[in-house]
Order: sequence, then structure tokens, then C-alpha cells
Amino acid sequence: MTGFHFDASARAVLRSLVPVLCPADAVPLADSIIDHLELTLGAAPAMMGRGFKLGLLAYDLGSLPRYFRRAHLLAGDKAERYFASWEHGLTPLQVQLARALNQLVGLACYEQPEMTAAVGYAPAPWIEKVTRKRLSVYKDDIDKQARQILAPDPLRPAVQLKKVAHGRR
Amino acid sequence: MAVAKLAVHEGAPPTGVFTRRELRGDTVIDCDVVVVGSGAGGGTIAAELAEAGFDVAVIEEGSYYQTRDFTADTSAMVRQLYREGGATIAIGNPPVMFQEGRAVGGSTVINGGMSWRTPDEILARWVSEFGVGTTMAEMEPYFERVERRIHVAPMDADAIGKDNHLLKRGADAIGWKIVGNLRNQAHCVGSNRCAFGCPTGAKQSVLVSYLPRALHFGARVYADVRVDHITRDGKRATGIVGHVVRADGTRGPRVVVRAKLVVAAAGAIQTPALLVRSGVKSPSGQLGGNLSLHPNCKVVAIFDEDVTGWQGAHQAFQVREFADQNLGCFAAVNLPPSVVAMSVPHRGAQLGALMQHYNKMVVAGLLCEDTATGRVRTIAGRPQAFYQLADRDAANMQRGLSLLCELLFAAGARRVILPFHHQTEVVDADDARRVLSGPIRTSDWEVVTVHMMGTARMGKDRSAAVTDAHGFVHDADRLLVADASLFPTPVRVNPMETIMALATRAAAHVIDNARRYVS
Repeated sequence: MTGFHFDASARAVLRSLVPVLCPADAVPLADSIIDHLELTLGAAPAMMGRGFKLGLLAYDLGSLPRYFRRAHLLAGDKAERYFASWEHGLTPLQVQLARALNQLVGLACYEQPEMTAAVGYAPAPWIEKVTRKRLSVYKDDIDKQARQILAPDPLRPAVQLKKVAHGRR
Repeated sequence: MAVAKLAVHEGAPPTGVFTRRELRGDTVIDCDVVVVGSGAGGGTIAAELAEAGFDVAVIEEGSYYQTRDFTADTSAMVRQLYREGGATIAIGNPPVMFQEGRAVGGSTVINGGMSWRTPDEILARWVSEFGVGTTMAEMEPYFERVERRIHVAPMDADAIGKDNHLLKRGADAIGWKIVGNLRNQAHCVGSNRCAFGCPTGAKQSVLVSYLPRALHFGARVYADVRVDHITRDGKRATGIVGHVVRADGTRGPRVVVRAKLVVAAAGAIQTPALLVRSGVKSPSGQLGGNLSLHPNCKVVAIFDEDVTGWQGAHQAFQVREFADQNLGCFAAVNLPPSVVAMSVPHRGAQLGALMQHYNKMVVAGLLCEDTATGRVRTIAGRPQAFYQLADRDAANMQRGLSLLCELLFAAGARRVILPFHHQTEVVDADDARRVLSGPIRTSDWEVVTVHMMGTARMGKDRSAAVTDAHGFVHDADRLLVADASLFPTPVRVNPMETIMALATRAAAHVIDNARRYVS
């Protein structure tokens, strides 16, 4: 796992994309979403991270011919229309980048605690509750399985005899 | 009342586990058997051989974690436990995203814990077409041994969540065959976090079953060590050379293991690359070939009622009605919100509107027994998978999706989102049949897998197979493969138990022929 970071212009592009890709209540979380994206790409193959950065640069500059400004400066309908033009783009690279952006930003968005709370997902207390239940209600069976894991296997005495026969150890 | 421990090893690392913290300088290890990989194959064979008295060293590229390390932080778990953060792709149209575990315990740490024996007809095919002695009569003792060790059992009724009850409701309404899942679990209580490391200790992954056993019988486990290549003296494998992987992913001190027997158990993607890096050749041309991967796809069904699928066991049931038609099973597979958001084509306000229904969703998937095969190529020492979904398999999955939608609507779903990049939502079974009877562009499919198999297939005929019937590489000496690479064909069911049973069988063969392999 290597350190992966976006430079200021890549962050600006991503910040402009958060309102396009995420629900409105995630917009204030844009910086945390981008930080999370860095962590995800840091764990991914280095080539993927490099490709993603290049893709963001292409996306940023690609708006110039049509909008006379870079993508990170687009907002509202223009930002929406520009992303849609990549989503349904003529080249596979445009389509793939738009899909990757949507997937990775969507993932990062719903990793934010505010967003998981908003959809009613609270696994930590649930895990704690069921773990406690398991360790108390099923204690005897759990202990039995732990003993079984470490016990010599009565079905393999021949192995032990062979070990002696081979004169090993 | 005293409280049980989460798992056998919790707290200080057990004796015999070495990580990058201990491996600070170049290290030379001598042993009888070195096992590369600590998952379903590697962990199993390590325990079997250690119990028989062999001096075993297990080498694992991933890190060592304990049950208490598995938290509710989904993406942190993915970064820690999945190779390349889960961003591994088989190139093709469509690209197939696949996942491999990279941790002590291998993919068993992140799988769903489904424990099924290889179907009789698959074993029979392996015997008749590939000449391997794997009849059910021969394999049964090995299956039994594995099932006891990893505690294969039906689910406790109170751990089954609403999403699975809805799946059953749909199957029962139509009259389709649905079976209670067999899983390697000791009183699973339904945290539904199997894919991110079981936080309750219930899933009896290799991490908490076979590896503690291997350690108990004297094996050593070296975590954070990547194997560069297998060393050889002529055709005889003599050990491995590797290096410690530092926390930042860079190359650390060198690790050399000198052994009498080398076991490659790094999975169907990594094992062929390891063999190729080590100069192993197979006249069969099958090394890296024959990749099958049980392509699967998922739908998201929205119900009116509350489901809260994350409270309940993962895949408590499997629909097996169409298993003999290359559709292995349908199952409910709850996903955290982030993974759902990543899996659907929705964005912006539309994504927000969909996610508001998160607790009313049933995510259900189907597994296709593929007829096509791909290949793992080794490029600059690294494996890259290539796989082209066959038209026939795509058509079968399309039919499967239609059937799965029929089931979900019979269970009461109001709408179902299909796994296509162009957004498609269907509102009843007729709508699903209509949409899914038309052409779907191959590139629109969203296909994923966790079952990679077949890239060093076993068989009697060395001109057609990489290894013999026990997994010994035909054109090498003392080099054994013990993972899903061995499968001559896809197994139709979740592959873990087949891998473990074959590894147990291979261990018995080594034990019975110790002078030949470990003298």
C-alpha cells in the first residue's frame, strides 16, 4: 500500500464532481470523500492510480472546446451536462472513466459516517450485540470447537506410526 | 460465567507467527515443507503435514490479523484484506472484477463461508475426462475430515435475516428448490460481515481453524513475505526466495527458505505466475490456461417492507432449481451501502433517492457455471487475467436474471435494478422477461467473481495437464500445487471445501510417501 495523493487541480476536479455524482447532502463532505478516494486508490495497483489522475486531467481540459473553461470551474447544469457527455461518450475511454468516477466517488460517499447514518446502517453496535450473544449463549459449543481445532485427530493414528517407521525426528 | 474467546488466538500473536516486525534482516529458514499461501489449500496442507510431524513453514504475502482487528469500517477492511484493494480485473469484454484475499488465512478470511462438497457429477467428469481418482467414494473421508475441522453446519434459525427469508418466500411461492446453506461456522450470529473479516469469530476460516492447528503442531507462519520465485536444482524444487513487504508496500529484507518439498497454494491467479517466474514449464500449454471463474452478477430489489439485510447471516439459503442448467445458485448477499452505491449506475439525486431505500433492499446474485475459459498471463513477473465472457454464458446469465427477478417479484419486490451499466429497472416479472429477452450489449454487463479456478489443472495425461492427480507438477520434482488452480473444470458450487479436501488428500499422499517426497 503506497501513499497516493491528488494534487490541487485534481482535487478541484473531484470537488466539482461531488455535486454531480453524490446526493446533495454529501456535498459538504466533499473533502472527506476525496480523502477517502485517495485511500482507495492507494491500495489499488499503482497503474490504476496514475491512469485515474491522467483521466482527471483529460476530463478537466476536455471541457475547453465547448465551455471555454476547465471542467473544475463548471457548476450546475453545465457540470451535469458535461459529465453526461462523458458517461455516454463516443470513446470507450470516456465511458470507462465516467463509470470509474461514478463507482469510486459513490463508494467513498457512502463510506462517510453521515451518509451511512442517513440510510440507517449502523453495523458496529449490531456486531457488538451479536458477538456478546454468541459468546454467552453458545459458550460451551465455542469452547468445544476451540478444543477440537487443537486436538490430535484419532482418525489418523497410522500417520503417527508411519512417522516412527520412517525414523523421522 | 467465564466468557469464551472470539477465536483460538486472540491477543498477543501466537508462537510461530512472524511478521515484518520480527523479520528485520535477511532471513534463512530450513524446513521440510514450505507452503506458499495460507488460504484454503495452504492452511489445510500445512496443518495436515505439521500434525504428521513434518517441519512446515507457511509463507504469506498478506498480514496477520486477529478477529478483534475486523471492524465495521468496510473500506479499511478491503484495503487491508484484499489484494490491490479489491481492484483486480480480468481483462475482456466485459471486464470481470475479481477479488483475492491477501492476509494470513487467504481468501477464507473474506469469503462467505459456503461449504459444499464437489457435486458427484463434477467428480465423475474429472475421473472420466481427466483420469484423476476423485470419485465421491475416494473423496468422502477427506470431505468429512475438512467438515469436522472447519465446523460445517446449517445456520441457526435465529441468525437468518429478513433478506434470506424473502428469498425463500419467493422460491417457495414458485415451487423452486431452495436449500439451507452449509457454512463453516460455529454459531454464526448474523453480523453479515463475512466479506470483511468475521468480527464475531463465528466463521471458521483458515485463520481461526487450520492455522492455529498447524501452529499447535509446530508449523511456523511468515506473514508479510512475498515469494519472488521457487528455487530449483534441475527439476527438483528446493525452496523459495522472497522478500519482506514493508508497510508502505516497498521491498524489505530477503527471505530464503530451503525445503525438501515446495507447495504452491497462492490461488488460481498467483500460482501460475509463481510457477512461470520460477521457470516451470508445462508441455501441456495449460499453465495459466483453462481459467474459469463462475461469473456472477447481482440485482438490487426494493421492497415495501423493512428488510435490514445487514442484520442476519450471509447467504443462509441457496436456490438450486437450475443448478443442472449451468446456473449454480441464486442467493441473497447483503452489501454495505458503499458497495451498493458503487454497484449501481445511479448518481447524484437519483443515487440519494435509491439509497434512502437501503434498508428495504434485497441484493441477490446468481452464479453461472461457465463454459468459456480464460488465461492468466505473466507480464513482468505479475499475473494478469484475461477472460472473455462467452455468448452462451451471457445468454445463460440473462435467462438466470429473468428467473431471479421472477423469484424476487414473487417474494413481493416492487422493483428490481438489473446489473447493467446502462440503467435498467424492471417493475414486475413480465417487465423483467420483456427486458431480458432482448439483446444486451456484452459491454453493458457488470460481472464479478470470487471463484477463480483451473490454471494449473490436474490430470493423468502430462500433455494435457499441468499436475498429476495429487497436484504434483508433471515436469518438476517435489513441487506440489494445492489450490483451485488444480480444478480441471468449474465446480458449480463454492470451491473452498473442494480445495481443502484435495489439499487433505495431497497431504495424505505425501505422508504415505514421505521417503519419496521429504527425505
